[in-house]
Amino acid sequence: MSEATFTQLLDLACGGFLLAAVIVLWRRELTAIIQVFALQGLALAAIPLLLGLHEHRADLVAVAAGIAALRAGLLPYLMRRALIASAPAEDRGRRHREGSDERRETQPVVNVAASLLTAAMLTLLAYAVAQPLVALDPTPATRALPVGLAVVLIGFFVLATRRRALAQVVGFLLLDNGITATAFLAASGVPLIVELGVSFDVLLAVLVLQILTTRMRTAFGTTDLDDLRELAD
Amino acid sequence: MTVEASALWLTAPVAVPLAVAAVYAIPRGRPLTPWAGLLSPAAIVAGAIALATVVRDAGPVRAYGQLLRADALTVWLLLAVGAVALLACAANPAYLAGEQAAGRAGSRTVRRYQALVHAFLAAMCAALLAANIGVMWVAIEATTIVTAFLVGHRRTRTSIEAAWKYVVICSAGIALALLGIVLLYYAARAAHVPEAQALDWTTLLAHADRLDPAVTRLAIALVILGFGAKAGLVPLHAWLPDAHSQAPAPVSALMSGVLLAVSFTALLRCKAIADQALGVGFTRALLIGIALLTLAVAVGLLLGQQDYKRMLAYSSMEHMSLIALGAAIGTELALAAALLHIAGHGLAKTVAFCSAGQVLQLHRSTRIDRVRGVLARTPALGAAFGLAVVALLGLPPFSLFASEVALARAGFAAGLGWPTGLALLLVLAAFAALAVRTGQLLLGPAPAGPTHPVPAATTAGGPAGGPPDAPMPDSPHESAAPDTDPADPGPARTARGAGLPLGLGLLACAVLGITTGPLADLLSDAAAIVSGS
Amino acid sequence: MNVIGYTAVVAQVALVVAGAPLLTGLMRQVRAKLEGRAGAGLIQPWRDVRKLLRKQPITPTGTGPAFRAAPALLVATAAVVAALIPLVSTQTPVRRHADLIVVVALLALGTVALALAGLDSGTAFGGMGSSREMTVAGLVEPTMLLAVFALSIPAGTTNLPAIVSGAIHDPTRLASPAGLLATAALAVAVLAEAGRIPVDNPATHLELTMIHEAMVLEYAGPDLALVELGSQMRLTVLLGLLTSLFAPWGIATSATWTALAIALVLFALKVAALGAVLAAAEVFWAKVRLFRVPELLAGSFLLALLAVTASYFLSGTGGGL
Repeated sequence: MSEATFTQLLDLACGGFLLAAVIVLWRRELTAIIQVFALQGLALAAIPLLLGLHEHRADLVAVAAGIAALRAGLLPYLMRRALIASAPAEDRGRRHREGSDERRETQPVVNVAASLLTAAMLTLLAYAVAQPLVALDPTPATRALPVGLAVVLIGFFVLATRRRALAQVVGFLLLDNGITATAFLAASGVPLIVELGVSFDVLLAVLVLQILTTRMRTAFGTTDLDDLRELAD
Repeated sequence: MTVEASALWLTAPVAVPLAVAAVYAIPRGRPLTPWAGLLSPAAIVAGAIALATVVRDAGPVRAYGQLLRADALTVWLLLAVGAVALLACAANPAYLAGEQAAGRAGSRTVRRYQALVHAFLAAMCAALLAANIGVMWVAIEATTIVTAFLVGHRRTRTSIEAAWKYVVICSAGIALALLGIVLLYYAARAAHVPEAQALDWTTLLAHADRLDPAVTRLAIALVILGFGAKAGLVPLHAWLPDAHSQAPAPVSALMSGVLLAVSFTALLRCKAIADQALGVGFTRALLIGIALLTLAVAVGLLLGQQDYKRMLAYSSMEHMSLIALGAAIGTELALAAALLHIAGHGLAKTVAFCSAGQVLQLHRSTRIDRVRGVLARTPALGAAFGLAVVALLGLPPFSLFASEVALARAGFAAGLGWPTGLALLLVLAAFAALAVRTGQLLLGPAPAGPTHPVPAATTAGGPAGGPPDAPMPDSPHESAAPDTDPADPGPARTARGAGLPLGLGLLACAVLGITTGPLADLLSDAAAIVSGS
Repeated sequence: MNVIGYTAVVAQVALVVAGAPLLTGLMRQVRAKLEGRAGAGLIQPWRDVRKLLRKQPITPTGTGPAFRAAPALLVATAAVVAALIPLVSTQTPVRRHADLIVVVALLALGTVALALAGLDSGTAFGGMGSSREMTVAGLVEPTMLLAVFALSIPAGTTNLPAIVSGAIHDPTRLASPAGLLATAALAVAVLAEAGRIPVDNPATHLELTMIHEAMVLEYAGPDLALVELGSQMRLTVLLGLLTSLFAPWGIATSATWTALAIALVLFALKVAALGAVLAAAEVFWAKVRLFRVPELLAGSFLLALLAVTASYFLSGTGGGL
């Protein structure tokens, strides 16, 4: 692969990666959000794949396959299951009124237009913050570092402003995708043992959150986090 | 000691709790004796003591190549974890018996609870023993995942809420630390550290002066924020009072007593690298700011607190901010004081949470105004809680007195008079709040009931451990007068009951306050490791 | 060169003026066919204009110069933009003035003139339409600026002919993430600016939803003809800008008659094709609720901003800018 094609494809993957984060912010349907998240997982997996092909490292290609399986396959599958579980059978008759509500991010704390503008600000912030990182070792990959940081910031923003339990999980995973992308772009990924440990932790965290969502649904009758107001000073 | 033996002792604190957790997790016909849970703390303490001798004689030890490593700091923290775990695991049977008696827990719940507690211990030890800061991060995140179910153990609305907040805030918070670690790795790779060692703590420390300052600055800021979240420091502290007040008492004790400290140790290790690369100024300013803000938040919320478990949680934040202040001062004296504070706070907080848990099981309320007169109703339990709070207030002879005084001295000596003075003022306010609330909880006549021990208490105690009530002749004055002999707290006399761990904990905390004895060298070595001298 | 250059400018303006109603007719016809209607024919918009021009000019009492000047200003700005931007040739005598910022400002001037006219008419609908139009314009103008700006970074200039000829010579610029993001952003901005579905419905006279129509409700006779023609010209110019920027192939970069002739034909074909696609898409789209419009536009603004940042930090060629 020539240098120019590599750069072009890497940029395309990073662009898609960032775009997916923005679309998550834009959409309200949780099913659509999960789909976009899966696409983002593919864009993320493309980064180590390209790096591996470029640097002729088979291990990176294997890592890319693992990441695609986890982030574009398993995690979206788990979330889809949690989504189905959160609109259970006895509600099907009333889905038009309530069940469909359960599947939408109805009222984010910050409205969608404002959050899109905030995402724009966050991208600029990421760009500013990443200046010293790019300056340390300017290569095509490190030049795309702001993309990783921007997705981290957008993930945090989703986490802070969305009220549906599942939307918060997506926010957490965006955050994590951003960190993984940063790791690949900065240094072709952290050592394998750490990468494995982190992936395992993320998977477990999502499982825990999924179970908690189910329990929340049983205890509160909804997954709207606004109802979590009993503990406060 | 041979290489194999030290490898064995390095493995034991992780492997034994894991094995115990596995044994608990496997379904069986007859329930395992609740005292089997003491095996893992025993392994941790034994490992710590064995490692202490090795480390004293031969310096840091490693096992399995780059995987496990122990130095004086590790050993000190392992000792603290072991001691607190010993107390908490000894309190487990009484707690579980109480829950079973109240019909809130079946045998499956008990099994799962025990398995999770031991997995939690294993994860904490792994975080301490990891040589690679990436692996350390993985272990700390694992503690979050394991404890999530422990926090949400009771499946009430409030505990689910607490568990959700806990997982989301902590996971997101320490994800920032991971980002910081990734950036450190990037800086190390750019400084031509080989890939396999670029996250190894010793290697990073040795090459710290070659790291790019701008990248390191960003990395350490993220690490401090991230591990600070797990250590209960602002700005991501909101989970702490919820999780600590909703978790079962022994788990609260473990979380508050040592989990905060373990994650703070991770912060200390990264700080040591950053200080080599940047000089102490940057992390000092950041940590002082965070410590003072945390202290102010904790004090502000302590002042109006009406819930005694949340009160203890905010007190944990107060103490963590003092430890952070010690780390910010950064001299050897300050760090030794901070490490001593970690141990003392762990012990005292464990006693406080465990006795608060018993108060909760007896009175079914965490509101201070609904409980009142604990000392009159259950003198021994009241005394244990009272003495633990006295220890947390930082009064002699408990070790928190010694460490707070040392912290203040170190702060003024290092020319940080203003922040130290401000912190002392805030601690004074916390002192007042804590003392008044505890007084309301403990003192006063038993409302509208028998002044003598409540019979209901005996039934709630269950078979495994009789609650420390009736046979206690101690007078209520014991807790009001802090300078009575702490070596003779009432509950210590119940041989099998929940009283024993409480008494032992207070005793250990007091002894540590009077003399660190054979641990003095270990403590100063540990402080030297992170102060960079 | 000069003769060919001037001819190109004249041809651009003439083609836009003559072709704009035809484009609208084409779009209506496509729509009608897709909806199973016969349609009014391609030149119906021209017949409408001719009919309106023959009528007696009427202005409502109480309206001032803003109301009277707006139609002429709308047509004039659209005509000037049509002359400036490189629709068929980059080698025109006015190419040095064909700056991106000038173009966007001229388009904004037309928008503002019409909004003022809506306010000037003093009716409730006029005011409402103006207020909505300004809300939309407030988000559309920066989006357009940013989107074209993203493309100007690799070219190193905000001069439109330079950007276009740069893109012709180096087509990979358009396939980069910045190019794709900018295309998407500019497409949404063009839809909003031209008052098409999903932002506005050009065929509606339902008070609750209309934006553009509400402003021009008071116009009649020749003034209305000018307003209609101006709007159609704006749509043509905007679609032309879109094609010039993102499908620049065929635009004459040298001053020869054959190149010019080919460019003219290609331009007409490209715009007609784009218009047909747009009309077909409109059949399937629904208009977005008015309160969701800022969301859509904020999204396109964000896309444009991402395009700018992407062309800064990804390509590396913009590092020196």
